[in-house]
Amino acid sequence: MVKSNLTVFIVDDDPAVRDALGLLLGVRGYRTAMFASGEDFLQGWRREWAGCLLIDIRMSGMDGLVLQRRLTELECLLPVIIITGHGDVTLARQAFKAQASDFLEKPFDHDKLMAAIDEAFSREAETRGRLQRQAHSLALLDGLTPREREVMQLVVTGQHNRDIAPLLGISVRTVEVHKARLMDKLGVDNVADLVRISMLDA
Amino acid sequence: MESGVLITQYGMACRTDEMHNAGQSENNPMRPSLPRYLPYPAFVGLYLLFDWATYIDPLYGLNITPWNPDPALGLVFWLIYGRKAALPWFIALLAGECLVRGLPAGWPLTLLSSAWLIVGYGTIGEALRRRFSSGDIFDNRRRLAIWAVIVLAGTMLNALGYISLLSLTGKIPPGEWGAAALRFGIGDMVGLVVSMPLIWMLVSERGRARLKETVWRWETLGYLALAMFVLWSVFGSIVRSDYKHFYFLFLPLIWAASRQGLYGTALMVFVLQLGIITMVKWSHAVNLQFYELQLLDAVLALVGFFIGIVVDELRKVADELKHTMRLAAAGEMAAALAHELNQPLTALSTYGKACEYLLERGESGDILKSAIGHMIVESGRAAEVVRRLRDFFRTGAMQLEIIEASALIAGISRQFTPQFHEHGIELVVGQMPALAVNADRLQMELVLRNLLANAQDAVLAVPRGLRRIELSVERLGGGRLRLSIEDSGAGISSTLAARLFEPFVSSKASGLGLGLVLSRAIVEAHGGKLWAEVGNHGIFRFILPLAGTTDSQGEYGEK
Repeated sequence: MVKSNLTVFIVDDDPAVRDALGLLLGVRGYRTAMFASGEDFLQGWRREWAGCLLIDIRMSGMDGLVLQRRLTELECLLPVIIITGHGDVTLARQAFKAQASDFLEKPFDHDKLMAAIDEAFSREAETRGRLQRQAHSLALLDGLTPREREVMQLVVTGQHNRDIAPLLGISVRTVEVHKARLMDKLGVDNVADLVRISMLDA
Repeated sequence: MESGVLITQYGMACRTDEMHNAGQSENNPMRPSLPRYLPYPAFVGLYLLFDWATYIDPLYGLNITPWNPDPALGLVFWLIYGRKAALPWFIALLAGECLVRGLPAGWPLTLLSSAWLIVGYGTIGEALRRRFSSGDIFDNRRRLAIWAVIVLAGTMLNALGYISLLSLTGKIPPGEWGAAALRFGIGDMVGLVVSMPLIWMLVSERGRARLKETVWRWETLGYLALAMFVLWSVFGSIVRSDYKHFYFLFLPLIWAASRQGLYGTALMVFVLQLGIITMVKWSHAVNLQFYELQLLDAVLALVGFFIGIVVDELRKVADELKHTMRLAAAGEMAAALAHELNQPLTALSTYGKACEYLLERGESGDILKSAIGHMIVESGRAAEVVRRLRDFFRTGAMQLEIIEASALIAGISRQFTPQFHEHGIELVVGQMPALAVNADRLQMELVLRNLLANAQDAVLAVPRGLRRIELSVERLGGGRLRLSIEDSGAGISSTLAARLFEPFVSSKASGLGLGLVLSRAIVEAHGGKLWAEVGNHGIFRFILPLAGTTDSQGEYGEK
């Protein structure tokens, strides 16, 4: 039903809740993986896992918010949906501050749960896509020669070719050649796109 | 006014404030319907009976006797009927002079003096009516005091006027004016003080019901018997010893007042008065000192009523407090149970939703069957929680089970982990010996939750990094365990310690101040005790009896 490479990772220490969620999401066509504790999840976690996390806030051992923080430290990209027994405002605020994708109260409205999962999935896909594009752009930037890079830095500050030429001690014509080549290499055809990519260049 | 009067079973009447109660009994098919005018002749008859029965030891053959309960009847009548009571009362007075005393003063003076008395009594009646226009006279100390003042002042003024009248017309020797006024005044006053509360209780349906409910027990016979015995033994010596032993009568009085409140006292005082009168008649111990005895009796009655009312008030407050405590306990328990209920409910609704999809897909095999099986298990889990809540608050019953102390602590500290984490509080759980208690898990959790919440509040007052809460359990001799919760907060001062376990004493803005009271009550119900120690950091400890030795295979270890 849904993209099969996405998984809902359920972390809840209550076996019944975990099992029920697994069943429901399974029936709805989601791939699920279940963990009884935050520690279990951290132990098994792989960077390439995709999908989203469903974490109960109140668990024995590591609680949901700690797990969320640990995952952020590990630069885990999985969006986190926090579930809680009581709608505690401070907890919710904390969860959102730590970039939680959603915050659901138990017992939850299942349509909201599905919506939250789908939103988390698309958010994850978006993040992943953006990162991929970023990685791609970085790879392209690596292909530039030092001179081309210099030209790029000056172009994106909004200077004209005839102003750049004296700065680099080369002819206007040469600047034009460098500029055309670097734009070709980066796969952009306007300065705006060039600016966007150049910002990735630290 | 007529429409506000309802005639009750005994021919007496209730005022509008009693309508509510009387109205209820109107539905009662057993209630005979009496004609409206009946209370008036009934009053006159009863008044005459009282007059006749208490016409003892008269002065100069006039109606100057040591105990006049008849005005009490009259005043209650007046309180109910207002000025309409004047005429029947006047008739009753005249009839008394005629039938009981044979008109010693002659018609004109009798008419005049009776009219004077009606004006006097009427004034007292109106004063009482104004003060107590709504509700009961005898329901708190202030009202009782106002009643006593009105009655005392009223009867004395009335007596002055009445005796002056008789004295002016030469019915009383000129030199005896003061003594006669005193005797008449005391007679009326004692009559009112001693009889009015009881008569007042007897005229209303509600009062009768409460009186019966209060005094209809064996204990009543006990204090009445004691009273009679004391009276009988004291009386023999009274004439010779100037009432030296009269104070012994306080014993049965205090018994009645402290056990049955005002209602028991009213009965007691009335019976005591009857006893005194009987003793006086029977022993022929009639002399002037009888009036002093009556005065003592009036004081005895007032003291009794005040004790009785204080007892009633205390009991009422205690009942209210108990009720509030129960509500608060229910609130705390409900909060504790919300989490427990939430888990099975979440699982239930999730399984339910899954079943819906399974059915939509046309599934009917094992998956569906097992999901439904899970649902049944989960609803059982939820029902168990609800049942325990209900059991506890309906019967106060505890559901004892063997609990590992370590499991209990693990469970509760888990619930606090997020909060502690948020506030940077370090929770240290000491070495847990394998000890088990026989306790109600929910109640014990409530206690621990309260203590941990208090500790949390205490450490929040100190800067981060210094916030520390320590939980430890140790085994004590005599098969007991001691659980300590220590925090790095400011600790308990000796002044605070003294008031710590009083209900509604809270150092928190949002607290009801019941947490510790409840916790202590729970621990004591488990046969243990809970206390706070004065120190430079917070220390709370409680002791519970051990459930006997257990194998150390605690499930806590696995978690």
